Amino acid sequence: MNENDKNEVLIQFKGLTKKFGSLYAVSNIDLEIKRGEIVGFLGPNGAGKTTTMKMMAHLLRPTKGEIWIRNNGELVKLTSRNKSYLLDNVGFLIENPAFYGDMTARQILSYFARLKGYPWKNLTARVEEVVGMFGLSEWIDKKLKIYSKGMRQKIGILSAIIHDPDIIVLDEPQTGLDPKARKEVRDFLLKLKQMGKTVFLSSHLLYEISKIADRVAIISHGKLMAYDNLENLELKTGKSMLNIELLTISEETLDDTLQKLNEVVTPLTGLETQLSEVKYNQDSEIFEVLFDGDPKTQHKIFRTLFENNFNIISFSVPKATLLEYLFINYTDEVREENE
Amino acid sequence: MSEKKTMVKPVGIEKSKMGIKRQFNQVIDTMYFELKRNYKKFILLLGFYVGIFLLFYLLNETQEAQGVETPDDPEEYILTYLANIGTLIIISTAALGGAIIAEDFQKQTGNLIFPKISKNRLLTGRIIVRYGFNAIFICIYFTLIAYVTDYKYSEVPETLIESMLWALLYTFMIFTFVVFLSSINKSPSAAIVISILLLLVVAHVFEMLLFNMNLDNEPLFLITYYEKIIPASLDMPNPRYEDVSLTSREEGEFIEIRRWITPSKIDALIGMLSFAGIFLLFAYIIYMIRQSKNE
Repeated sequence: MNENDKNEVLIQFKGLTKKFGSLYAVSNIDLEIKRGEIVGFLGPNGAGKTTTMKMMAHLLRPTKGEIWIRNNGELVKLTSRNKSYLLDNVGFLIENPAFYGDMTARQILSYFARLKGYPWKNLTARVEEVVGMFGLSEWIDKKLKIYSKGMRQKIGILSAIIHDPDIIVLDEPQTGLDPKARKEVRDFLLKLKQMGKTVFLSSHLLYEISKIADRVAIISHGKLMAYDNLENLELKTGKSMLNIELLTISEETLDDTLQKLNEVVTPLTGLETQLSEVKYNQDSEIFEVLFDGDPKTQHKIFRTLFENNFNIISFSVPKATLLEYLFINYTDEVREENE
Repeated sequence: MSEKKTMVKPVGIEKSKMGIKRQFNQVIDTMYFELKRNYKKFILLLGFYVGIFLLFYLLNETQEAQGVETPDDPEEYILTYLANIGTLIIISTAALGGAIIAEDFQKQTGNLIFPKISKNRLLTGRIIVRYGFNAIFICIYFTLIAYVTDYKYSEVPETLIESMLWALLYTFMIFTFVVFLSSINKSPSAAIVISILLLLVVAHVFEMLLFNMNLDNEPLFLITYYEKIIPASLDMPNPRYEDVSLTSREEGEFIEIRRWITPSKIDALIGMLSFAGIFLLFAYIIYMIRQSKNE
């Protein structure tokens, strides 16, 4: 893929809006997705992610606004008349549909491939190939009703790519999967990217998105709050997140440690608020520090902690934590606006 | 089976373009998929039809063994097998048609299928196969009747074929009604139960009510009324109604009530095709509306 191809817009939403009665499920979304990138579509439950994807699949019609999809080199507006051929090069997995339990993976995937015009002579090889991608070859002729939830979810993802589309739209493909299966799906999506596919992926699993997405769109209450890569989002907010793990933390000493960390670190964060910028995450047992994102500040904090004899065993700026901060920040913004 | 871990982009695989040929193929592929999905139900229901036929056969044979005379006319003998044909049709159409639309909403399978195929092509493929199964039941049932009739009387009335054609048309109309009910219900089970209740119980009670109201007008608006042409077409009555005398409460007085035996052929043809068209149209519209409401 050359540079020109990389900058080529494949999907474009212009003022996309969907109303159900008086409720705005999606409100005036403008978004562009370029060839070969993975775009994470983030938002809490009910934010409008699935509605947006359903509009793209033409399962729902926008109340206002337009969707443009590239076809034969030019962007074409999606309408009822052209949806069949315009969406021919797009693979969808919307929500978590149940499957026909009495059918096998081979039968279902063959059917979907045929609906998309995949030739008979290559069908068997293609179905076996994609099923093999997830290591499910031994299950290919077993009925889906005996599959685990994770396996069914994988077949769902395969159903979106079976006809080898250039654009793949996946709605929460990793929800409900165990960590191993989530990693498999993550690796799979990265492979699709390597193949030059464009992936539009909704999720509320911030870690997963932070690991694979080139750009992130954050949606809340139907409004697009932010759309950029993580580095730019970080610059825009002027804040970033540091994770600090200490060697031993007991419940008795936790409050003291937290207080001491705040005393030492908060004046160094580069933020104007000078409030307690250090928080303790009970789940991960990690101290989280909000700072201005400047590497010099990061170095200063590290040196000061070291000088003050904190037993640091890890010190990092993980994207997932930053994304979580941005996510909460943006979604809270809308909540406050609405209130 | 060896795992293929590498991901290879298919090279040189030309997918067929969206056009009339692909649209036609989508219907064919849907039919093929439906055949595989429903063949067990088909075998079960086929067993049901054959079982009912054998029961009627045994009943006739037992009566004959007990000295009850076999009818002189083969038509009369055939009528014994057609006494409950309407019930059979209702059960098999409900079993095969009840899930046709409702399951996509219950299981959200619509999100898998669309937009790979349009609703009209999907429905066309499904209806052809599921109605086709019902048509096969009817054909086999009538073939069995023809076989035993030929065995007993050494002849088969030609009108049996006409009766079978009416049964096929009636099955189609009832099937479209079930499809319509499937479009308004959320679960396939509800669609099946409601179809059977409406067609077997409610329609029957309604027919009785009309009879008691003593209306002269033919009940062409009642879809189950058209079932009557299946046995009647063996030997079309003239007139197509009979006036039944019932004793009034006041002593010595009689009241006459008109009972319609069968619709005319032209009324049956127009009536059943019209109903089928209306049910299919409504089913399709409701399917689209429900999908657009994000159900």
